[in-house]
Amino acid sequence: MKKFNLVFLALLSIILVVSGCSTKEEAKPKKEDKKVVVSDKPFKIGAIPDQSMADITRSMDDVAKYLSEETGLKVEFVPSVDYAALVTSFQRGETQLAWFGGLTGVQARNLVPEAEAIAQRPRDAEFKSVFITSVNSGINKLEDLKGNSFTFGSESSTSGHLMPRYFITEAGIDPLKDFDGKPNFSGSHDTTYKLVEAGTFKAGALNIAVWEKAIAEKKVDTNKVKVFYTTPDYYDYNWTINNVDEVYGEGTKEKITKALLNMDSDQKAILDLFATDKFVETKNENYTAIEEVAKSLNIIK
Amino acid sequence: MTLISRISLHRKLILTISLICAFFWSVFSVSWDKDLFNSNGANTTFLILGSLFKPNLSPEILILGVKATFITLMYASAGMLIAIVIAVIFGTLGSGVLFGNSVFGNAIATISRSFLGFIRAIHELVWAFLFVSSIGLSPYAAVFALGIPYGGILGRILADILADAPKNSILALRTSGASRLQTLFYGYLPMVSANIISYTMYRFECALRSSAIMSFIGIAGIGYQIQLSLSDLKFDEVWTFIFFLVAMAVLLDFWSIKLRESMNIPKHERKKMNWVQISQVLAVFLALTTWIYIISLDDASFFGIFTENNLLFAKKFFSSMFGIGVENPAFLDIEQWKNAISLTIETIIMGVLAIGFTAVASLLTVLLASKNVATGQLTMGNSLLTKPFFYLIRGFYIFTRSVPELVWAMLIVFIIKPGIIPGAIALALHNIGILGKLWAEVIDEMDTRPIRNLQLNGANYVQMLFYGVIPSVFPQFLSFLFYRAEVIIRTTIVVGLAGAGGLGQEFKMSMSFFDYTNVTLLLICYIVIVFVTDFLSGLSRKIVKENSAIAEP
Repeated sequence: MKKFNLVFLALLSIILVVSGCSTKEEAKPKKEDKKVVVSDKPFKIGAIPDQSMADITRSMDDVAKYLSEETGLKVEFVPSVDYAALVTSFQRGETQLAWFGGLTGVQARNLVPEAEAIAQRPRDAEFKSVFITSVNSGINKLEDLKGNSFTFGSESSTSGHLMPRYFITEAGIDPLKDFDGKPNFSGSHDTTYKLVEAGTFKAGALNIAVWEKAIAEKKVDTNKVKVFYTTPDYYDYNWTINNVDEVYGEGTKEKITKALLNMDSDQKAILDLFATDKFVETKNENYTAIEEVAKSLNIIK
Repeated sequence: MTLISRISLHRKLILTISLICAFFWSVFSVSWDKDLFNSNGANTTFLILGSLFKPNLSPEILILGVKATFITLMYASAGMLIAIVIAVIFGTLGSGVLFGNSVFGNAIATISRSFLGFIRAIHELVWAFLFVSSIGLSPYAAVFALGIPYGGILGRILADILADAPKNSILALRTSGASRLQTLFYGYLPMVSANIISYTMYRFECALRSSAIMSFIGIAGIGYQIQLSLSDLKFDEVWTFIFFLVAMAVLLDFWSIKLRESMNIPKHERKKMNWVQISQVLAVFLALTTWIYIISLDDASFFGIFTENNLLFAKKFFSSMFGIGVENPAFLDIEQWKNAISLTIETIIMGVLAIGFTAVASLLTVLLASKNVATGQLTMGNSLLTKPFFYLIRGFYIFTRSVPELVWAMLIVFIIKPGIIPGAIALALHNIGILGKLWAEVIDEMDTRPIRNLQLNGANYVQMLFYGVIPSVFPQFLSFLFYRAEVIIRTTIVVGLAGAGGLGQEFKMSMSFFDYTNVTLLLICYIVIVFVTDFLSGLSRKIVKENSAIAEP
């Protein structure tokens, strides 16, 4: 038995020693790095996990590579499993550039006042959500949703939750009371159409771009699932940049903005993954309407 | 019969009746009238269960599984090491063996015990959410989130075992002039180490599952893979990864059994290469690889947590949790309180339902899962079916308990409509495996003679159960049930994260909407129900113990 105590004590000391030593070793060179070459610090970009992780990683790794070549910064993509986690990491300055949805962008810019929405796809100025249901469900308009089961995307999603919820409420349906059971939160747009196609939920709402891409790539069977309502336009996705000039040098924000806006047919592979042919300028004020909606639904206080 | 025993019998009856009432109350508070299943639920069930028998065994998935399992193991061991440090420090202080029965000693013991009680009341995943929001998504956030509540659990057990240790040999040491610290090292620890080690091994198995669900905050590992495959509805991959979890649990269980066996053999009789030695080497090896791995992870500098910037954010986060500078904080708002209280009731119903489901399902299967029955020792009959049933049900137990509640919940919301029922079923599924095993072991160790008597006199299965087995194992069964009830109530918040309603779902929403004062309010409600459950469970266990002590000749 005595031996066991010895082992435990030994373990304890090992933990302490090991963690103590190595962190010291690591901490030192990092500090020096910061002082000597400022822009050697990796420039981290992120994206809300609104689609299948494989797709996002593919497109964002390409964006990181492209931005590295254009700006000379060491750009890295850091995947994120959760919408809110990306906003938090943006707030903490751990993410310098992020592909946000309308709502997450507003949340992030509220937390970091210096942050700025710099670019979007042309379609993001007139974005829509689609409401889908199985072909023979008998649901033909928003009012018909009463008494049926329903799934949103992520709770932080603009096109998968915020705007659909807004239009459902406008149609006189209380999402908490009028569905069959509570509404589900699938987590991502891809999951939403898969769940409706599988018949798990009678209806769901998702991002129109993901829906059109799924049809084009034949990922969804339109003999089984149909769109029964398309929302009016609203502003959605955008590239939002953190307060980067301080750390990465004056003009970094401009360089990044220019690189994003300059993407053209030479970067077709990347743009295809974003389902667009270019990025255009945008500004924070474009998202005031989204903020108002979020406030009216008590999602932003 | 003395008056006291009459009262305690009475109490036991009240306890049993109130338990049954609570279960029925929860059953009737849920609306079962609407059809329970998702539209097309049958097909989805078929799809999910179908892929259980044809998991995806392609090389890429298997390699991914091995890598992810390794990562999960690393986080689990790192968390356990922190837990052991916390447990040793606060458990020893909390046991009161260091400072004796003075006012000062008692104060230290009480403070340490309350501290341990508080840190273990909050589920590791909730700790993880809080850490990520305050210190950022660093591997240390996950390691501490694991280590802190596990430290609380281990610490309490250590304190209890130390306090209950027989005092004779300690007294002998004290009279021969040993200091209190010396009695700890040469008296107490050698006496209790076997107990502590076997409990730690069991906790290590739990830590693996907790480490897997750290995927919810974005930590890599087997849970992360399960989550990715689930969101693509690739159930065949999901089961492959789940089998990795099961395999880990089985291996650890095997290690723990071998170690216990080996420790029970007197030292001089042990073989040269025995499991005690192997375990020592393995433990050191694990501890080393773990920390080398965690530290080698990108950006995982320990002192990085304590940068000025980080402290600023942590301060900001906690002050917004306390509502400093927030207009109309949730915990001062009547409407929010009403909402939180209705969610709390929902959560309690979910918990009680889960406890009931667990108890019923375990009761139905436990006899067949006990070794005594399987070998025919208990029933004398040696039916051809008992052996296969034994392995089938024990296998089922291992399988259901290897899958974390959260993962069960994520799977079940594909079949059953979101709400508290899928949550309760998810909690029950996981706990059947644990309770069933604990109960089966009680039957294994019971005195089999009375039962055989019944059997010889022609009692059937049901009669043997009600007149033979249940009366003699009942106190211990109840005691284990209460212990699981504590754990179940504590975990209700976690299945809520997967869409099963209650406090958990609202917690996740409020985190997503950065409504931190509401987070505080929900956590207050959560901690209150956890503490109340712990209190009631402790009280009930005392009643059960009293009664069984009297029942003994």
